[in-house]
Amino acid sequence: MSETKKPRWPPGDLVIWIFIMAELLVFGVFFATYAFTRAHHVAQFDTYQLTLNRNAALINTLALITSSYFVVRAVAAIRADNSQACFRWLLAALAMGLLFLVVKGAEYHHHFSMGVNLGTNTFYMFYLSLTFFHFLHVVLGMIILLAVALKAHRGGYSAAEHTGVETGASYWHMVDLVWMILFPLVYVMR
Amino acid sequence: MNETRARHLFRPCTWVYVVLLSLTFITWLVGVNHFSGRFFAFLVFGFALLKGQLIGDYFMGLKQVAGPWRWVVFTWLLLVGILISSAFWQTV
Repeated sequence: MSETKKPRWPPGDLVIWIFIMAELLVFGVFFATYAFTRAHHVAQFDTYQLTLNRNAALINTLALITSSYFVVRAVAAIRADNSQACFRWLLAALAMGLLFLVVKGAEYHHHFSMGVNLGTNTFYMFYLSLTFFHFLHVVLGMIILLAVALKAHRGGYSAAEHTGVETGASYWHMVDLVWMILFPLVYVMR
Repeated sequence: MNETRARHLFRPCTWVYVVLLSLTFITWLVGVNHFSGRFFAFLVFGFALLKGQLIGDYFMGLKQVAGPWRWVVFTWLLLVGILISSAFWQTV
């Protein structure tokens, strides 16, 4: 496709992109604050980072990437006017989102049972607040995807009109995008 | 495998998905082996920025957009990349 034939607007409703930019700004500030705070507490951050479960983080990263891929397929399905395939891809994406929540919930349970909380130290304050902030975005993204999936199941979208699917998809990819930075930053980089 | 099926499997988003999984596994290997230092920290962070760009381009569909919106994710990754890199440069 030549440059002149490309659309000037991103997929989905423009309002969601304003929202996405605001969300990215907030997460960006959060990430930078984590990084610069770590620079003043290197020993503490490196020590307590070792208490995090990297296997769980791997499962969660794979779950979000897979979920995002399923959403891409859902958008492709509705563009091909196949609303039931769109519905099934969205259900698969939701299952991956649910897996993320279960694994993350198990991580939180482990930390809380060990007596860890927001006041334990600076590292845990960032770990818990950053990941829980993201956790809430996964929950919101799943609610949006569920609403889109149900409408797709009822035949509410078509190849000609599927802005809602693209809007929900864009938000879900943003949730995935943010985790791509969060995973190495909090769990791996030292 | 017929031609339609092959096109279905090897569409660009599927290749991107495989690359994203591969880079994630490498990042995880660095993490579980407790590799530290500037090289490994910036290796996995570089992978993270690349993964973000791939998600923006191919999953969010920004590669097919002309004009300023094309660069939303790239600009965010650039700013976040500069800030985090500068914070980690002296401490890893």
